[in-house]
Amino acid sequence: MARACRIVVGALDALEAAAVPGVTTKEMDRIAREHLENAGARPAFLGYRGYPATLCTSVNEEVVHGIPGPRRLREGDIVGLDLGCIVDGFFGDAARTVAVGRASEEAADLMKVTREALFAGIDACHPGKRVGDIGHAVQTRAERHGYSVVREFVGHGIGTSLHEEPQVPNYGPPGRRERLVPGMCLAIEPMVNAGRAEVEVLADGWTAVTRDRSLSAHFELSVAVTPQGPWILSEPYPYEQAEAVNA
Amino acid sequence: MPEPGRPLPGASPLTGARETLEVEATVREALPNALFRVELATARGTSVTAHVAGESSLLRLRPGDAVVVEIAPFDAGRGRIVRRR
Repeated sequence: MARACRIVVGALDALEAAAVPGVTTKEMDRIAREHLENAGARPAFLGYRGYPATLCTSVNEEVVHGIPGPRRLREGDIVGLDLGCIVDGFFGDAARTVAVGRASEEAADLMKVTREALFAGIDACHPGKRVGDIGHAVQTRAERHGYSVVREFVGHGIGTSLHEEPQVPNYGPPGRRERLVPGMCLAIEPMVNAGRAEVEVLADGWTAVTRDRSLSAHFELSVAVTPQGPWILSEPYPYEQAEAVNA
Repeated sequence: MPEPGRPLPGASPLTGARETLEVEATVREALPNALFRVELATARGTSVTAHVAGESSLLRLRPGDAVVVEIAPFDAGRGRIVRRR
C-alpha cells in the first residue's frame, strides 16, 4: 500500500507541475494514466462504479469527482486532483488542490486551511482514539477559519479495495464511532467550502459542486494507524523501528 | 476519491451523532391511530406507546409480535417501531 500511495503522490507532483493555463483536464487525465502505467500501477477509479476516467479534476466550485474533459484550465483557477491506483492488489488514494498560475488570496487561504485540516485529522490517528476524533479535528480546524466542511462525502478505510469500512466523515463529535487500532488504513479527505457546506451533484451523475457555487478545496492522504501514531503511507516510516529482540 | 456518506441509523443530520436507542420489545396492545403499546425486553419491562416507521407491513402487528423499537433520549415514554425481529 505504501508503494501504491507513493506512486499516486508522485503522479500528483507531476500533475501539479502540469496544471498551467491552457491545458485541458483531459490532458491532465492522460498524464495521470501514463504516470501510473510507467510505474506499473493500474488506475483505481477507472470503471469504479462506472467512473469514466483515471483522475478526478474538480475546478473551482467543483468539490470532488469532476470528470476530465475539454475544459481548459485558466489563470487563477484552482483544481482538485484526486487519483487512486492499484499495485499488487493494494490501493493507494490521494488528492490535492492546486492553483493554476497565481491563485487569489481567498483561494490560497482556502487551500492552506484545507491542507491544515487534513493534517489535523491525521494527527488524531493514534490507537485508542476514535474515528469521530478525526472528523472533529478536521471540522474544528476548517470552521475556525469561517469555512464549512462537506457532509455528503466522506473518507474511508482503504486496503484491497478502494472503499472499505469504516467511513471517515470530516465532521461530528469527538469520541464517537469506531475505535482506532494499529493496522487500520484510512483515506482522510477533507472537502472544505469557502461558503456554505451544501453540495449538489450535476447531471453527469458524478461532479459535485457547492450549491452556492463558492470555491471548494480537497486534500487527501492515506494513513496507517501504527502503535506510535499515524504513518502517512506515501512518506517513509516515521518512527524508530523497534529493536529486534535478542539482537 | 471520497465515498458518499452513509448516515448511521438515527443519526442527526447536523452532527452525525447517533441519538436514538434501539430496544427489543413485544407488542402488547394495538391502540387507535396505528399506535401500539409495547413492552420493552428490559429487566424492568417498561411499557411505551409506539408508532410504526414507514413500512405498512408493520401496521398489521398483533399482540405478541416481537419488534425492535427506537427510543429518543428526550422522551422515553414514546417509541418508534422500526422492524420485526
